[in-house]
Amino acid sequence: MFDVQTLLILIPALPLAAALVTAALGTRLLRDRSHAPVVAALTLSFVASVLLVFQLQERIEERAAQPGSSRSAGVEEVVARWSWINVPDAMPHPVDGRIETPGWGNFSIEVSLRADPLTAVMLAMVTCISALVAIYSIGYMRGDPGYWRFFAYVGLFVFSMTMLVSASNFLLLYVFWELVGLCSYLLIGFWYERPAAAAAGKKAFLVNRIGDVGFALGIFLIWTTFGTLDFSGVFQSVGQYAGDWRVTAICLLLFLGACGKSAQFPLHVWLPDAMEGPTPVSALIHAATMVAAGVYMVARCTPLFAFAPDAQYVVAVIGGVTALLGAIIAITQTDLKRILAYSTISHLGYMFVALGTCTLLSITAGMFHLITHAFFKALLFLGAGSVMYAAGGVIDIRRLGGLRRRLPVTYTTFLAGCLSIAGVVPLAGFWSKDAILLSLHDRSGLAGGGLFEILYLTTLLGVVLIDFYMFRPFFLVFHGAERIPPEAGDHLHESPGSMTAPLVVLAFGSVVVGAYFEWTHGFAHFLSFTPSFECLAQSGHTAIGTADKWRIAATGSVLTAVGIAAAAMLYLGSGKAVALLARAMNVFGLYSLSYGKFFFDPIYNAFVVWPLLSVARLAAWFDLSAIDSLVDRCGRIPKQAGAALRPAQNGLVQFYALAMVFGVLVLLGIMLM
Amino acid sequence: MHPEIALLNDFLLVGALLFGVGLIGFVSRRNMIVMFLSAEIMLQGVSLSLAAWGRFHNDFGGQTLVLLIIAVAACEAAVALALVLTLFHRRGSLDIAAWHFLREANQPPFRDAPLPEEPAQRREPWPRLPTAGVRPETFGEENDYRPRV
Repeated sequence: MFDVQTLLILIPALPLAAALVTAALGTRLLRDRSHAPVVAALTLSFVASVLLVFQLQERIEERAAQPGSSRSAGVEEVVARWSWINVPDAMPHPVDGRIETPGWGNFSIEVSLRADPLTAVMLAMVTCISALVAIYSIGYMRGDPGYWRFFAYVGLFVFSMTMLVSASNFLLLYVFWELVGLCSYLLIGFWYERPAAAAAGKKAFLVNRIGDVGFALGIFLIWTTFGTLDFSGVFQSVGQYAGDWRVTAICLLLFLGACGKSAQFPLHVWLPDAMEGPTPVSALIHAATMVAAGVYMVARCTPLFAFAPDAQYVVAVIGGVTALLGAIIAITQTDLKRILAYSTISHLGYMFVALGTCTLLSITAGMFHLITHAFFKALLFLGAGSVMYAAGGVIDIRRLGGLRRRLPVTYTTFLAGCLSIAGVVPLAGFWSKDAILLSLHDRSGLAGGGLFEILYLTTLLGVVLIDFYMFRPFFLVFHGAERIPPEAGDHLHESPGSMTAPLVVLAFGSVVVGAYFEWTHGFAHFLSFTPSFECLAQSGHTAIGTADKWRIAATGSVLTAVGIAAAAMLYLGSGKAVALLARAMNVFGLYSLSYGKFFFDPIYNAFVVWPLLSVARLAAWFDLSAIDSLVDRCGRIPKQAGAALRPAQNGLVQFYALAMVFGVLVLLGIMLM
Repeated sequence: MHPEIALLNDFLLVGALLFGVGLIGFVSRRNMIVMFLSAEIMLQGVSLSLAAWGRFHNDFGGQTLVLLIIAVAACEAAVALALVLTLFHRRGSLDIAAWHFLREANQPPFRDAPLPEEPAQRREPWPRLPTAGVRPETFGEENDYRPRV
């Protein structure tokens, strides 16, 4: 049987090999069979990830069976492949006499992969979703001139993402962090001949750069503070730095990077535009996996955040703000994919709220939500893609309606996704949402919990909004009078089997995965054996009574019901109520704010983009008029010298001979003198 | 002056004269064959001075070199004449100026400046003998071929 080491290498190696094969043979040999290597590799990767999870589970059980071992030791396995950089004693020893970090000052970067429960869970999620999305893309992308290119990019992305989650030091994490950013850029701008897609790709790349600057600075500070970039070295010694401003600064800088990648409040503007990419890409990268990289990174750095309470507050507040902001904007958008994009932003906000709460309960809740969210959000995006496929590329919910009879499978699976994201008992979304609410409530009982009480209430408000903004497009698109846009022609029909099969699988996952994890307690138990989470075992938490649990679950469910009922009332009836409500809301300018996406884009244009563009134009003008003209003048010197000498070449042999004679005379004169 | 040096001086003088005649001929004539001959004359001037120096230093190096030059000049003559022949076939003229279009582009072409018109035949006043005396004897019909003396 495969051991952990082989599996760890196989999981990223298979997609990489498939991507290379597709890129090399795609144009000539494979053509419209280009999906075959990638789909096969991703499926095998998924199988390997599941095996990895089982292997780790076995070890955890062994550990738990040993009576003497400490509960919080964690299970991990690091496979070092080769040494990338090795500079011994790159930094002098600290003068303040601190106990040194193991391996202090040796700038040695090992290309090593790690397997611990957190990584295993992420690997399984990434490979599962990406395999399903790749199968879906066979139908969705068929006939596209860039068919092979698409699959090569997807293979490269999965390789980068799996490496990102299994990297075991900060520098390697950063490398693959950038590589997934590159894949995201390539796939957003996949239809690069469309100006909007090209601009969206650029925007995503540039906004992410802002976050990455923070990430890079954070890594520099980690190096100067801890003298190592290895996860285990940093996390072991962070306890000595409790209360140090540097830990807080590191956390905030890392969080800035996470904000960029996971589209949090100040840097969220790229994600809605990223919907210009093909829909499977939106589902895979911009909903389920890549945007979760920020969440993963913060979860991985839990030991750092655990010793920086101020940073925890910042993470939680930014998460809360983003969650509300995304939800409010999503209410009034008319593009189904943008609604889903804002919903993604909002849900990532929930995950950050949970991570900012920083107890073992909340972090497992955040990761739990990450997994369930991946399922139902991928499902919803692929469902939206299926609608788009049927409707000839139209995705504006005002132009669609009553499609439930035409697209029965899409309708059923989309309904499952909506119910799950809304958090209806007992679907997946309910359990993860409930876990987050529970952990927030739990934390609010601890010291400094006032903030978390507010966040708890905010999250409850968000629950209503989620139901409303998800069921609004659902009712508009699938219920009511049948509206079919002319682009669809007269053959609007269900998508092919390769597209509906992943929908069914994802719908099944969205329905059962939460309940399964919750009832078996497997997920939280499994994750709690992550070595990074050891530090949380010490942080106490209040015992939550059963009554509290029931109360929170009931509150959540009631609010869910309220949200769905409101959406049903408004959008299943006549449109008058909607218009009335919109006008009532606009009394306070709320509707315009939401419809205008809180005017982030114009504000950024005025205060960031325009000044930068002006400086760039000035520089371009200076380059053209000053530097370029100087260079041009230098270039003209030989030309003019040549023109001056050219009359000497007049075609008369006698003239040449005479010139020679004079030359000889001059030489003679010089020699005689 | 030492007679050897005087001898050398005389030879060098003749060599320089030959070289100068050749040079002026090369620069001033436009007929390709004449130009070639002028070049040969220059070569002979140099050969002569080489031979003189060889004699002066009592060293056969100079004269060896002269023999070599003669051999090379013979080859060169064959090549040069073949070249001249080809050029003549191309343009139908031995005038080197016929090839002036090989100049740099955009340069003004060479134009044969017309020779200044010769002034009308002025009657050269012959020296006249006074009427008194004996008429000088002329040489019969030879006079017809001698326009002027």
